[in-house]
Amino acid sequence: MPSTEPVLEQDFHLLYASHHAWLRAWLRHKLGCAHNAADVAHDTFLRIVASRDALLGIQEPRAYLTTVAKRLLVDRARRRVLEDAYLAELAVLAETLGSYPSPEEIALAVEALDQIGAALARVSARARAAFLLHYLDGQTHAAIAVQLEVSTRMVQKYLVQALLQCHAGCPALAPGAA
Amino acid sequence: MTTGADGDAIAEQAAHWLVLLGADDALERAQAREGYAAWRAADPRHAAAAADMEALLDRLQGLRGTPGTGPNPARAALDAAHAHERAQRLTRRAGIALALAVLLGAPTWLALHTWPLDVLSADLRTGSGERHTVTLPDGSLLTLDSGSAVDVRFDGRRRAIALLEGDILVSVAKDPAHPFIVETEHGSMRALGTRFTVAHARQATTLAMLESSVAVRSRTGGADTVVRAGQQVRMSAAGVGPVEKIDAGSVDDAWRQRKVVANDRPLGDVLAQLARHRSGWLRFSEAELAGIRVSAVLPLDDTDGALRLLQANFPQLRVRRLTRWVVTVDLRP
Repeated sequence: MPSTEPVLEQDFHLLYASHHAWLRAWLRHKLGCAHNAADVAHDTFLRIVASRDALLGIQEPRAYLTTVAKRLLVDRARRRVLEDAYLAELAVLAETLGSYPSPEEIALAVEALDQIGAALARVSARARAAFLLHYLDGQTHAAIAVQLEVSTRMVQKYLVQALLQCHAGCPALAPGAA
Repeated sequence: MTTGADGDAIAEQAAHWLVLLGADDALERAQAREGYAAWRAADPRHAAAAADMEALLDRLQGLRGTPGTGPNPARAALDAAHAHERAQRLTRRAGIALALAVLLGAPTWLALHTWPLDVLSADLRTGSGERHTVTLPDGSLLTLDSGSAVDVRFDGRRRAIALLEGDILVSVAKDPAHPFIVETEHGSMRALGTRFTVAHARQATTLAMLESSVAVRSRTGGADTVVRAGQQVRMSAAGVGPVEKIDAGSVDDAWRQRKVVANDRPLGDVLAQLARHRSGWLRFSEAELAGIRVSAVLPLDDTDGALRLLQANFPQLRVRRLTRWVVTVDLRP
């Protein structure tokens, strides 16, 4: 909650008081589930608090709220798919290794992977492929060059591009995040 | 932390050095190590950016675990999220393209006949109330029902149709060298020479076999299910359901006469199909209507009539007409 700027805080409370119930009803209709609706409505306001500059120029509060809520739903759906796939593969891995990471470790990994996924969506398909083949599959630059039908130099260029996007877009990978 | 254009340039240099440190050739790596050390020493901002980027690579290393041929959760997770995003984008694009199809539809349909088999790649869609049949270059016939969208991808090895939304009827030309595959978000269906319909709704994909057989595999994996003439099967996020009997003749007739044949199908699926044949908006909540299953033959040319029939058969249903364009179907309170 922003505490240093009383005007913003007032704006936020006004927004919350006037539209929270409406947003919940809207989400309930959309999702067909009251519990989820309350959850998403709550997160929507949290997200708005986190990006508080946006509060200043809202002309159509309900359109704004539904836009944020819809984006949140898209993010949640993607995150769930990612988490399911991660856990499913982890279960296979745990069978062979005989050990299992803690829930905290899993949550951190999923958070980081979600951010990496979003960062990689901002580079070309080949840069994305090069990044995954090298940093996750452990393939050499030359092997990737053959697979993508480009030069080794180009592979290195792709890796730089992808690393930069991850650096800019993945707070979960920053020093101290773990 | 360094910010701004200088910071961006420095971060880029740091990334560049770290990539070179991972080069395949030992000599190249040794040279990179020297260059990297000199670069870091040249400016404290360089050293800070280097530490930042190294920490990022360390975290990545931690995520990937032991690289090798075994399971790779990080990779699996990223691939799944990527596939999900792509599917979402395709669906959105399909929605926009429906409007464009009115303008662009005819040339696409005509042009399709002239594509060579090995490079055919086309997106086909029908608007509401529209139905199109097209002969694919291999001789297969593809009919798109109203409000449907497919991507056709023939690449010389396989003939693939991605059904993004709606219903299709396929008569596959026999060609054992090039399997004919229909894919939806729920699973894939592999055929050699045969005739079948595929209906794609949000919750599930329904395959109805009219002739011969098709091997079905769910997105969730597992063994193939073989579906033969006169059978149908539903696949959803939960996998492939049991094989059920249908009357292949009435399904075929329904396609000719623009009717929907529902054989113990969820009401939501049937309403979704009606909605594709209506201009305007047919509103309903799949979750609310989940318990109701329908067995009926409903006219698609007269969706108002179809809705009246449904209401007559299910007294608990409430059909409300807000305007000609907005109709709501829900349960009586």
